[in-house]
Amino acid sequence: MTPSLGTHIAFGVLAAFAVLTGWRVFCTDSMVRASFFLLLSFIAVGAIMILLTAEYLGVAMFCMMAVEMMVMALFMVMFMMNPAGLNPMKMVHQERVAIVVGVIAFVVLSAVAVLSEFPDAPLPAEHVPTISLGRELLGDSMLVFETAGVVLLTTMVGVVVLSSRRGRYGCADDGSMPPGLEPGGEPAGQPSEEEGEHTHHHH
Amino acid sequence: MILDQLILPWLLAWLMVGLGAYLVAVLDRLLATGSARDGSVWLAPLASAAWLMTQQATTTEAPDAPAWRLAPALYLALAATGLALVPWSPTLVGVDLATSLVLWGSLEALATVVIFLHGWSANAHLALIGAYRYVALGLSYLLISMFVLIGVALPAESLRLTEVVAAQTSLWHVVSQPLGLPLFLMVGLGLTFWGPLDLADSTDLSGGTAVERSGPPRLVWALARAAMLVAFSAIAATAFLGGWLGPWLPGPAWLLIKSLAVLVALLWLGRRLPRFAPERCVTLMWVVLLPLSFIDLIWAGAVALWMA
Repeated sequence: MTPSLGTHIAFGVLAAFAVLTGWRVFCTDSMVRASFFLLLSFIAVGAIMILLTAEYLGVAMFCMMAVEMMVMALFMVMFMMNPAGLNPMKMVHQERVAIVVGVIAFVVLSAVAVLSEFPDAPLPAEHVPTISLGRELLGDSMLVFETAGVVLLTTMVGVVVLSSRRGRYGCADDGSMPPGLEPGGEPAGQPSEEEGEHTHHHH
Repeated sequence: MILDQLILPWLLAWLMVGLGAYLVAVLDRLLATGSARDGSVWLAPLASAAWLMTQQATTTEAPDAPAWRLAPALYLALAATGLALVPWSPTLVGVDLATSLVLWGSLEALATVVIFLHGWSANAHLALIGAYRYVALGLSYLLISMFVLIGVALPAESLRLTEVVAAQTSLWHVVSQPLGLPLFLMVGLGLTFWGPLDLADSTDLSGGTAVERSGPPRLVWALARAAMLVAFSAIAATAFLGGWLGPWLPGPAWLLIKSLAVLVALLWLGRRLPRFAPERCVTLMWVVLLPLSFIDLIWAGAVALWMA
């Protein structure tokens, strides 16, 4: 089946959009913006996969990348000590290495696309992308992998529940308090006890 | 082909967005008590929409311009895409994708991103708190939603919504998977941050992610939330209440009746359930509802094996 003109146009627009948003990832100065430009790029790639009748992979791409980029943006903001992700920061590091690796990857992938001979195997009329993908990936081990997936998630929740009991300032059951500013002092950062009085101690 | 695949789904989706959002406003007013009921039930939503249209769209000092402009429209687009996936009858389906159930799941995931961007892009503190609050909660709703939806796909042996409906010919999933619909309704309230789960745009943040919004964009945001509630009701009716299946009436009429029933149930729950503090809500999701969704999945698998 030769693709229609609409498919060609859609592919061109989506491919250009994916490259453009991918490039914008490195031009912006915000971690949050960079994450979501990357998400836009992935969404365009997912739409191209749907054009290639890989319906499950394309739609799973939307789902996974949306959650992944959201979690990535959230964790970067939390760990980078960058209040709310609003401070500007540079998105490009080790530029020389990155340029060399980028050029090599581009040349190799382009060579694969241009020089290799792709098999000419028309899709069967009764093609079900989800089932064929599942058989190709996991075959008879499907049940084992699915069970392992649910068990892993349960384990992760359990580990978080068990490990978050002991917090930064002691066991959560005992009512954890931050340490004092001096050794053995009053817990730091607590509201003052003499409320209502207008005299405040400044140290 | 153009009529079938482009114009028909487009018309179906946008007709439902417009009528459905108006219906949500009217029904919510009918279910309300006290001062929230003042004014005409049918005209008051139109009057407040017209008032918003005449107001100026204010902006903050340094917003993230693209996200600030696009977030309400993107949320509306997600709701419309969801409505386009709903099968009205075996043949009348907007977008009959082989993986429409997964696409609905990814719309829920993308909604998290859009709601976050709505609050984040304003560059204002209350909106930002609302945005981060939604992310913390939204990630917990997502997992519950995925497990409940996998349970629905199991008996159908397909991720296509039309086949999910066809698998309910003998018994609706609301009966064969009793935990599914209640869990999914909680996801719906969370996804549209409605009623007790309205923690992103709540009054304690004086409007949360929408605190800096005024004029037409605010109207679009409200419209998008209502439309998402309608899309969610239609998907819930499809996944659990047998969609178009039913005697005497034609398929689309049954789907309308069932979606309306789910919508009224959601709005009623929104008015009657008590509100949670956000941190308690996260605990409830991860410690109570997520294990329940595991049980739902195991139950669904066992029933599917037994009935096969």
